[in-house]
Amino acid sequence: MNQLDTLNGNVRLPRRKLLGGIAAGAAASSLAMPHIARAAEPIRIGLLQAKQGPISQQAQYLQQGTFLALEQLNNELLGQPAEIVWDDEISPQAAGQNAVQLIEQSKVVALLGGSLSNFALAEEAIAGQYKIPFIVNNGAAEDITGAKCNPYTFRLQPPVPVQAAAMMPFLEHIGKRWYFLSASYAFGQDIANSFKALLKNAGGVIVGDDQVPVGTADYSAFILKIRDAKPDLVIGGLTSGDLSNFLKQWNDFGMRGKIPFTEIAVGDPDLWAVGKNNVSGIYTTLWWYKDPNNSPSDKAFATAYQKKYNRPAADKAWMGWYCAKIMFQAINAAKSTKAEAIVEALQNWHEVDGGLNVHFNKWNNQLEHRFLIVGVKKNIPDQWDYFDVLASVPGSPEAMMAAFGTAADSVCHMSAL
Amino acid sequence: MLDMMVMQAGNGLALGFLYVLIALGLSIIFGLLGIVNFAHGVFFALGAYFSVTMYGVMGWWGVPVAMVIVTIIGMLTEVLLIRRLYDKDPLVSLIVTFAFSLLAEAVIRTIWGPEGQPFDAPDALSGVIVFGPFVIATYRLAVMLLAMVILALLWAFLNYTKFGRILRAGSRDPGMVGLLGINLPRVFTGTFGLGCLLAAIAGVLAAPLWTVTPSMGTAAIMPAFVIVTIGGLGSYMGAVVAGLLVGLVQSLTIQFFPEASAAAMYVLMALVLLLRPRGLFGEQWERFE
Repeated sequence: MNQLDTLNGNVRLPRRKLLGGIAAGAAASSLAMPHIARAAEPIRIGLLQAKQGPISQQAQYLQQGTFLALEQLNNELLGQPAEIVWDDEISPQAAGQNAVQLIEQSKVVALLGGSLSNFALAEEAIAGQYKIPFIVNNGAAEDITGAKCNPYTFRLQPPVPVQAAAMMPFLEHIGKRWYFLSASYAFGQDIANSFKALLKNAGGVIVGDDQVPVGTADYSAFILKIRDAKPDLVIGGLTSGDLSNFLKQWNDFGMRGKIPFTEIAVGDPDLWAVGKNNVSGIYTTLWWYKDPNNSPSDKAFATAYQKKYNRPAADKAWMGWYCAKIMFQAINAAKSTKAEAIVEALQNWHEVDGGLNVHFNKWNNQLEHRFLIVGVKKNIPDQWDYFDVLASVPGSPEAMMAAFGTAADSVCHMSAL
Repeated sequence: MLDMMVMQAGNGLALGFLYVLIALGLSIIFGLLGIVNFAHGVFFALGAYFSVTMYGVMGWWGVPVAMVIVTIIGMLTEVLLIRRLYDKDPLVSLIVTFAFSLLAEAVIRTIWGPEGQPFDAPDALSGVIVFGPFVIATYRLAVMLLAMVILALLWAFLNYTKFGRILRAGSRDPGMVGLLGINLPRVFTGTFGLGCLLAAIAGVLAAPLWTVTPSMGTAAIMPAFVIVTIGGLGSYMGAVVAGLLVGLVQSLTIQFFPEASAAAMYVLMALVLLLRPRGLFGEQWERFE
């Protein structure tokens, strides 16, 4: 009898001996090597990203970037298999419930997500309650790292007031009669309030201020009001698909180029969806695939994304990827899946980009990093290449400190872990 | 201010005509088949998506082809799914069509992706028409005129063709129509197809106005239901009047109280139902009593 015979099934063992042997083997392995049974369970990361609704066009890219970050690590964390469990965000309430489900049933060790600010705020409360590390990859409302902060929640997007202040030097010269058109939820209201404060300081006048229900499909009546008010500038605070609808109809009414339009924290997919003949304006964005100052790892990501999806990486894809990369690096640095260890690793995480030290603020877990002011090109060459980079802000470590503020400026009061 | 109100009213009518097309299909399907079709918005979205796709393949000739494709999909849906609901509790048809709409939206998302699809109006219809203080986008005016023509053709079709008469008679008493030797299942399939065709036409017309996204059907279905309820279930004239009324109310609310623009049509519906529970043009239908 040789080994080959055994493998080929040529050897017949008595049935009772065989069963006894299997039982003994199973018992021995469970007693002697319990870690093997545990190792078979992958490390799970929860991803909360909208699968439907107006924000889903951004969320698709966020999700793709997140999954790509894990693939680049061969789907392994701490030398063990790892997987991402993706759940939906239909409403703030459902987002919170799905976060609980991911924590309690899927046993995730960390959360990523927050397609909209109000979803992120609901998930943030759950992360704090269940003590699970969470990086908000898209929400920009001030409260996330402000009044509603907690030690387990970290955030990528610079808060709305930071982005609004950075935009101001590019807007002041346009004129001081502004019209506000913002969505009636946290992000839209933050934009309106931030720019109103800046306009007041600049001695400007509000000539119109409309709050728009989220999910509005037809903006024609709003556009007629704006046209009638004859402002120098329109400040938008619309979200994703709603912004696409507005810009399309703005062009239909012949307003493109007549009254400048601006908004912060827009997504490339929102503008790509409008079509290159219909877009105009100045925007802030966190990343642009053609930014010449992109870091080598960003460039490698852009190449990998292009290879996998056969289209350029949107800013949202980068945001998903970047947050996941940070979380995965923190888990590996912590050498543990314990929440406190991961949080500590996140607080110590940093890298250099554009001469700036990119890191999370200790007092509110807000990531400090550069972002871009971009303008839509006059002649857009293809369906992707929409922007000219007007500036990368903040431009220096001092400017970054001034932009993001200090612990004394923050309204965040975090409890101990 | 008066100029502005008149301009908003004109704009509201343009939007209202689009709503009328969506709501009429819903109303016709309910009238004959007794089905509250929650999946109606799907055919609206499919009209927009197929027009984007077929335009890429065949140019503007692809747009009518898109409408035909959606009509065929609608008829197949009737044969394979809707037909099984006729003798069921109305609640079952509501739940099944709602589930079908979710499934169809997921299929659209899988095939075309969740991101919006850019689609522009023909160059000849771009720009705006200005009359003194009044302005209207050329394409919106074209939509309004085209919708009027379609409504007139549909009215003539329902009143002066054999199929139209069968459809109207079947709405009141399908059993009697069957006893007269008319192939009712085929009439039902044709009626559902007609409803889907109207939704598809609305989707095609909306594609250059709104961004083409998987959820655009959901955005359209609620105004359509409100219009059918205000106008009176199954009423042609009711759908037309209520559609225009909803468009007007929405536009004027945006002028004076924009935060309430989404709720305005529901307030209107509540008021109408309080005063006239059958809707503005609703009649007593024996089979639904």
